[in-house]
Amino acid sequence: MTVKQDFGAVDQFPVGMRVLAVDDDQTCLRILETLLHRCQYHVTTTDRAETALELLRENRDKFDLVISDVDMPDMDGFKLLELVGLEMDLPVIMLSAHSDPKFVMKGVKHGACDYLLKPVRIEELKNIWQHVVRKSKLKKMKSSLSNGDSDGNPDQNRLKANRKRKDQFQEEEDEEERGGNENDDPTAQKKPRVLWTRELHNKFLAAVDHLGVEKAVPKKILDLMNVDKLTRENVASHLQKYRSALKKINNEANQQANMAAIDSHFMQMSSLKGLGGHHNHHRAIPLGSGQFYGGAATMRHYLSNRTFGRLNSVSGMFPHVSSSRPRNHNDGGYILQGLPIPPLDGLHIENNNNNNNNNKAFPMVLEGHAQSSSPSLNPGFSPHFEVNKRLDHWSNSVLSPNVPQSDVHSKPDALEWNLFSDSATPLDKEPSSFCRNTGLGSSNAYNLGPMTDAQQLRSSDPKEGLFMGQHKLESDFLASDAGSLDDLVNTLMTQEQSQADFSEGDLGFGWFNSLRTCI
Amino acid sequence: MQRQVALIKQSLFDQGYLDDQFMELEELQDDANPNFVEEVATLYFKDSARLINNIDQALERGSFDFSRLDSYMHQFKGSSTSIGASKVKTECTTFREYCRVGNAEGCLRTFQQLKKEHATWQDRRGLGRQHVGPSKERDK
Repeated sequence: MTVKQDFGAVDQFPVGMRVLAVDDDQTCLRILETLLHRCQYHVTTTDRAETALELLRENRDKFDLVISDVDMPDMDGFKLLELVGLEMDLPVIMLSAHSDPKFVMKGVKHGACDYLLKPVRIEELKNIWQHVVRKSKLKKMKSSLSNGDSDGNPDQNRLKANRKRKDQFQEEEDEEERGGNENDDPTAQKKPRVLWTRELHNKFLAAVDHLGVEKAVPKKILDLMNVDKLTRENVASHLQKYRSALKKINNEANQQANMAAIDSHFMQMSSLKGLGGHHNHHRAIPLGSGQFYGGAATMRHYLSNRTFGRLNSVSGMFPHVSSSRPRNHNDGGYILQGLPIPPLDGLHIENNNNNNNNNKAFPMVLEGHAQSSSPSLNPGFSPHFEVNKRLDHWSNSVLSPNVPQSDVHSKPDALEWNLFSDSATPLDKEPSSFCRNTGLGSSNAYNLGPMTDAQQLRSSDPKEGLFMGQHKLESDFLASDAGSLDDLVNTLMTQEQSQADFSEGDLGFGWFNSLRTCI
Repeated sequence: MQRQVALIKQSLFDQGYLDDQFMELEELQDDANPNFVEEVATLYFKDSARLINNIDQALERGSFDFSRLDSYMHQFKGSSTSIGASKVKTECTTFREYCRVGNAEGCLRTFQQLKKEHATWQDRRGLGRQHVGPSKERDK
């Protein structure tokens, strides 16, 4: 956009930008009006805030920008600022003779794009159009992020999406999404935001069920759903979120199941070394966990309530226990026993690599796992801790720095778990930070509530329960918990998560590993 | 006549009644806005008369409601700043300081000064306007 001295070209932004100027002081208003005209903006003035609001409400598309004085008799300028921001989401510039930083701060906090001091100079007004551009760009980004589409902000979304999508089963969508990202121009038209209502989501679920989660591709889902105005991209992004939510939930479920299993299997734990090669998954996981140990500090960001990761990450304090998560016993991927989601082997490996490199950088690597950076996950873990408490076999001694990243797995998951839980407890250092960091953590906790309960119910029959639980959980999730899943998905939508996949596997296993060595 | 007007204006500048801001306003005057300065000045004096009146009344009442006085003065300061009335602006700032510390006498004194300066400017302006009709162009 260039500022052209072309009076006739109203379309040549910022020439012709429509400004609404509000100031009770006639002198200032007149001056402002003239200045704005001089900048070739289209100006409407009013000396009353109420009038301004009416004008704006009448037709919010009539104006691009609002400039308002702070001190006005009929309404506080900050209040007007807030209202305009909320109702019309237009950029608002504050104007005042007050140069007190307090007021400037107040303005910023109330959402002002800028704060100008009187007397206003024309140079300052010549640049105010930037706020309009910025705001509209932000709006586009926001709407595309919330839709999960990438067109608003292709780079950012793609980056996020790519992280999440390293999973093999996301490959398809990857391609599809990329194909769908023709619109790389952030200032291109906004796509209307698709609101995934329960109904819509149920249709979606039905379609996915019908196709099978593994085979569910956006195009087919879209066809099955047969909803007008729904685009493949909408479905694709929703599917992506759904899958990651499922994964997370299933991980949680698995962990719950694991804990239960560990409890009962505690005594069965074989030697650490002997646990080798139990499952493929395990192998992968310990690797990951090893990395975690290294990268302890980074695991802070997690979302989940599990202590697994936490313990691991506690600066290698935890012994690496070969993690054989009970659920790993099943080959269906370590997370989702019954879900037709591809095994995470690939993930694990990737995770390993990622972890190696990214431990420090992964903010929410471990979704669904309590794999946070410190055992301080406890607070978040309350539902789980309930289970954990049952496992009080391990003490701090468990925390040995040695982490045999290998594949010692086993069933002594119970043992590990106990280890973990116990050690976790004392290590409860930063509960708040954990919870805080894992934005989803709280929601996870919430969502996991039902799971936990279910899990605990099954814990009496650990081994079985483990597997069953997984299946059940998964079915629970798929079938009934649209509500909570929705919530989860919604939360996911607002969170920028990714890497859920990797971390889960890694953390859990590593955790187990650490437990193992203690034994 | 024009010279007289110019002189009057110059004196206002020299004596600090007007500052750069006023010059900016003058620059805004062009073919599209031939009487811009005049219009703005008229508006200003109208506003300022009202404000001065209000403040006068408030002060006469004897109950020094500093916050209200401060608020009036803030408005006054705003317009004065915009039009480039620098002396008046300075007095406004001083007045507000006195308000802040609750110095009634200081407020009164300052206000008197402010009124005087305001009047001086207005008179001179009036003089200038009498000599030269508003439609005539002024010297820059």
